Amino acid sequence: MSARIPSRRQAERPPLGAALRALAATLVVTGGLCAWAVVLAPRSVRMELACAGGAGAVLLGAAVATAVFQARLARHYRSRIGDIKAEAERLADETLPALVVQLRDGASVDTALSRTATPTAGAHQRIMRTLAEEVGRGERMRAAAMSACANAAGRVQALATGMLADLREMEDRHGEEVLGDLMKLDHTTAQAGRLADSIAVLTGARSGRRWNKPIAMESILRGAMGRISAYRRIQLHNSSEAAIAGHAAEGIMHALAEIMDNATSFSPPLSPVHVYVEEAQAGVVVSVEDSGLVMSEAALQRAQQSVSAATLDLMSLSGTRLGLAVVGCLARKHGLNVSFRPSARGGTGVVVLIPQQLVTQPRPPAQRAEQPPIADTVVTAPRPSVPAPRQAPDAEPQPRAEARPAAEPEATPRSDAPAPLPRRTSPSGASKAPAAREPEPEPAAQPEPASQDRPAPPTEFGESGLPKRRRGQTLAAAPMGTGPAHGRAAVGGETARPTRSREESAARFRAFRKAVQGTPATDAADGTRTDAAPDTRTDGPPASPPAPSPARPEDETR
Amino acid sequence: MKRLGPDDDPDRLYTVTGGRSRSADDRTLDLVTLIVSECDPTPGMQSEHARILTMCRRPLAVVEVAAELRMPVSVVRILLSDLLDRGQVTARHPRTPATAQLPAADLLKEVLDALHRL
Repeated sequence: MSARIPSRRQAERPPLGAALRALAATLVVTGGLCAWAVVLAPRSVRMELACAGGAGAVLLGAAVATAVFQARLARHYRSRIGDIKAEAERLADETLPALVVQLRDGASVDTALSRTATPTAGAHQRIMRTLAEEVGRGERMRAAAMSACANAAGRVQALATGMLADLREMEDRHGEEVLGDLMKLDHTTAQAGRLADSIAVLTGARSGRRWNKPIAMESILRGAMGRISAYRRIQLHNSSEAAIAGHAAEGIMHALAEIMDNATSFSPPLSPVHVYVEEAQAGVVVSVEDSGLVMSEAALQRAQQSVSAATLDLMSLSGTRLGLAVVGCLARKHGLNVSFRPSARGGTGVVVLIPQQLVTQPRPPAQRAEQPPIADTVVTAPRPSVPAPRQAPDAEPQPRAEARPAAEPEATPRSDAPAPLPRRTSPSGASKAPAAREPEPEPAAQPEPASQDRPAPPTEFGESGLPKRRRGQTLAAAPMGTGPAHGRAAVGGETARPTRSREESAARFRAFRKAVQGTPATDAADGTRTDAAPDTRTDGPPASPPAPSPARPEDETR
Repeated sequence: MKRLGPDDDPDRLYTVTGGRSRSADDRTLDLVTLIVSECDPTPGMQSEHARILTMCRRPLAVVEVAAELRMPVSVVRILLSDLLDRGQVTARHPRTPATAQLPAADLLKEVLDALHRL
């Protein structure tokens, strides 16, 4: 800009001087000619000639001066116009775009104005300022609206999540007669939650939930279909054992939910929508195929574009169709590859590739089992209120610490049918008990694996990918005792399962007993217990009624 | 209001049962009915079904299956009735001491009254 100023000054200099110079030159020349003519002329006409010549010279001079002046003026204006045009073009092509970019990046109006080159013309300056103010205001409004939406969406998300938890707990608590109604509410809430999630995603807020464990593919798919209205029409074909890393699970569920929702809403109301899962080299491929309308080539391309665009264009949103934009955002965030193609079933197929780095192996179900035992002892210890209800709470920490170990021997003897069971026995002192007690062939192997398994828990955490701190880890001995035990139960394989509830109930009995007696149980006591326990079990019916409670407490503590 | 813990599963119960809130037939599966699996789980099966089949290799009461799956009994009943329909499990009702042979209520009441009077 500063470079432009001198040139403008030059151009502005009025061309009067040149005109005067031309006038003077003309006068000199014509004056000279006149004088020469007068000198040469006969005396009689000298007077007239001088007058006429003078007048002519003056006229000629004036004419020449005017002509020169006008010519200079025209040139001056022409260059001026050129300058202004160039400046206007620079304003339009460079200055204003730069200004708008700065404002979009969040700079304030004044900052943006001071950072861009100021045009010299006052009008241009005013244009720039007006524009900057308008764009700045628009930008601020956009940001405010976005954050208000994000905030509101976050609150709705929190409400929906809390309500889902409540409903789940009610579904556990109430009987069959209200289950259907609760499920309906549950479903509606889940859909509302998805809508809030969609808005959160579009406004750039974080998604509603985070899972801190890998989520199995089946759960991902069911979580996704649970959020759409026509979930009954979804047919899952999944035999994949893979799981999705916890941090991406919510996003992927949401993206799949949007895709499934599209598929169900753009296909005949009774036709099924098939979802296939296959594991490929590059990751897990989920295909959603409907048998509805075939999308035209252009529509396919548009859909493809909206899910693969590099940034979200808010202009592309329409009030009713947020789905693909949401899928696009989530795909960008998690590196999903979403593609549309005509389906072999006659409708549209959507193929989602979940990249390998988001795919892990599911954490053994022990993970789930770990939480409840702690809850059990805490909640239920006071519960069997018959003889010593007051004592129980006081004695809690202690029983908790030892109840778990005690539970193990329980499990061992009963496990004689499923072979792997013995292996997961026994932390602490109890480990001796099974070996001593059980003269059967398998037990021989027991103590050993048990001791191997003892350091196992950390490796078990590792399966999720990274070592993680776990809930309740800080709760001193109790969780440490239970964690390994249950972890092993799960590691041991499915066969181990049947005994877990027995372990739990035995542990609770034990905690209670110790609370009452105030002494740690001996191995001998374990022996008697374990012997007794199977009996009550095989009686079947009488033993089972207390069993529902294991499910309860954990729900309550959730 | 409770928060969902990070350790929960994202499955909603209606997706587990396919939207059913009670089993189609009126088969009586009470809490203590013993369930025994008749076959091994196959890949591609719903995971709950697979888990039930695995855990019921030895007879297990319905209520324990429910506790194991951490699901309401009514949902487990639906799952079990699916398996029953496909013949993948069998249900054994616990033997009740023949109820018909119990003395009549009146008689019992008389005995009770007599005892009170002692």
